[in-house]
Amino acid sequence: MALVGESGCGKTVSALSILRLLPDPPAKITSGEIIFSDRDLLSLNAKQMREIRGKEIAMIFQDPMTSLNPVLTVGEQLIETLLRHKSLNRKETLKKSAQLLGKVELPSPEEKLKKYPHQLSGGMRQRVLIAMALACDPKILIADEPTTALDVLIQAQILELLESLKKETGMSILLITHDLGVVTEIAERIMVMYAGEGVEIGSTRDLLDNPHHPYTKGLISSRPKLEPTIEQGQRLTEIPGNVPPPHQRPTGCAFHPRCDWSIDKCKAQKPLLQNINQNRQFSCHLQPESI
Amino acid sequence: MTDNSRFLEVKDLKKYFPSKKKFLASNTPSVRALDGISFTLKKGETLGLVGESGCGKSTAARTLLRLETPTSGSVHFKGKNLASLSEAELRNQRKEMQMIFQDPFSSINPRRKIGEVLREPFAIHGFKENVSEAITKLLDQVGLSSDYVNRYSHEMSGGQLQRVGIARAIALNPTLVVADEPVSALDVSIQAQIINLMMDFREKMGIAFLFISHDMSIVEYFCDRVAVMYLGKIVEIASSEEIYKRPEHPYTEALLNAVPGLDSAQKNQKLKVRGDIPDPSNPPKGCSFHTRCPLKEKQCEEIEPTLKEIAPGHHVACLLKER
Repeated sequence: MALVGESGCGKTVSALSILRLLPDPPAKITSGEIIFSDRDLLSLNAKQMREIRGKEIAMIFQDPMTSLNPVLTVGEQLIETLLRHKSLNRKETLKKSAQLLGKVELPSPEEKLKKYPHQLSGGMRQRVLIAMALACDPKILIADEPTTALDVLIQAQILELLESLKKETGMSILLITHDLGVVTEIAERIMVMYAGEGVEIGSTRDLLDNPHHPYTKGLISSRPKLEPTIEQGQRLTEIPGNVPPPHQRPTGCAFHPRCDWSIDKCKAQKPLLQNINQNRQFSCHLQPESI
Repeated sequence: MTDNSRFLEVKDLKKYFPSKKKFLASNTPSVRALDGISFTLKKGETLGLVGESGCGKSTAARTLLRLETPTSGSVHFKGKNLASLSEAELRNQRKEMQMIFQDPFSSINPRRKIGEVLREPFAIHGFKENVSEAITKLLDQVGLSSDYVNRYSHEMSGGQLQRVGIARAIALNPTLVVADEPVSALDVSIQAQIINLMMDFREKMGIAFLFISHDMSIVEYFCDRVAVMYLGKIVEIASSEEIYKRPEHPYTEALLNAVPGLDSAQKNQKLKVRGDIPDPSNPPKGCSFHTRCPLKEKQCEEIEPTLKEIAPGHHVACLLKER
């Protein structure tokens, strides 16, 4: 499953809410429920939540440079999670840590345990973070823009690793990204978000081949395509305007000021998510055929 | 200058950064950020410079504009050797050579109003008359209303700020603009707007662009020719069309394959590259790509390939293509 959208659309906030990681105050989850294995995460107390966080649901972050502690070695950071959630002693955790690093395909894992984060490259650091997230065999892995800070070649490697880990361990991945290309590589379903709301949900292929929401359509066509047939000087399709800041959301449909097809109804009335079939939902007043 | 081919000529440009001296160590290797690159740029032409981070793209741009002093090599701009110019002559020359930076939030002074930011190029080059009108016109050209002159950068979005960055670069009618990853800090839907804007100016003003990016798909859209860089060297240079249809260097092919595509059909036949970019202070012997190359042969570890022309205008540095 992937959440896609531009910056400021609420992707990361969704993920942090699931783990109840948002600082409270000022942030408050005002309504809704998060059901995980039949329990509402919002009704749990801090201690119960700690049991779930890291053990059942783990997260990897966008910037591998800042999410590791620069003054602790990789090994010390890895065993932290293991000591917290598993009843192992130091020696066993170190052995397990080395195994984990091997699992994320880092060369010479024993040596890497003794290194500090600044001695590793960006791609290696992201692998360490993935190893940390995998330490307790989580059921869900939340990956918040895991490859955005990395080079293209390294990005391809990390995506491949996530894909094979998913197959191997059977865990679910919630991938957060702004890049539709990354999504196609690993996600089965996509939710497109705009201004704090999901505007279209569907299975990856279906949604990309046949987008129903004007915003999804815009996102797909504004991406430069890698085709040898492109003519020189050809213009890219653009979505006009900017994402509205959260305190100045437009009335009605949040996308209507940037939408080519907007009608009067869009300004006045907020469209609701409607089901087309079991796997496909979108929120737009217009018929998909008309856009 | 009438001779079109000699608009910008870069020859064997090198830039080494000395690395930090370790205690008692007598000889520490310097970082070879730029290890002898050569190319030419015609008037009004767009050359893309692609590669991973640390391959020397940005150093190339900065050294070219003499924001860094080159270790060796020469840059001829309209027939003049930039290295031989005095400070004052160089400043005069810079009117024609401008730069657009990657991160508009850090390249635009947060304590100045946009109007003041845009006034600066005029002030530096001694224009005093009609500056305010010129600024209003500039803002209009990049699609911003004239009341933006009184705004500060924090009041604007990344896309709007990058428009200001472009306005600043074209203020003095340059003939060469170096754009260093101008869209990689922006959202996808905004990227398209900025690329289109730069295309407009290129057509209207006949500006030659040196476009630096790590994203092959954007480069294909924007550039006439593409140079692929790896560890401070150009490994392949050809027209955009040629490079996308017939990538010859394994590194170019890997870069093209690594672009995550919406079309999953092309996924199967990937040329896979393992590992990281090597340390530029200690580059591998022979072909610098051999440590990651899936097609590596024994000779690649010893012989260093040089750029060879394999088709008209298509140069590649790979031993496997020499046979």
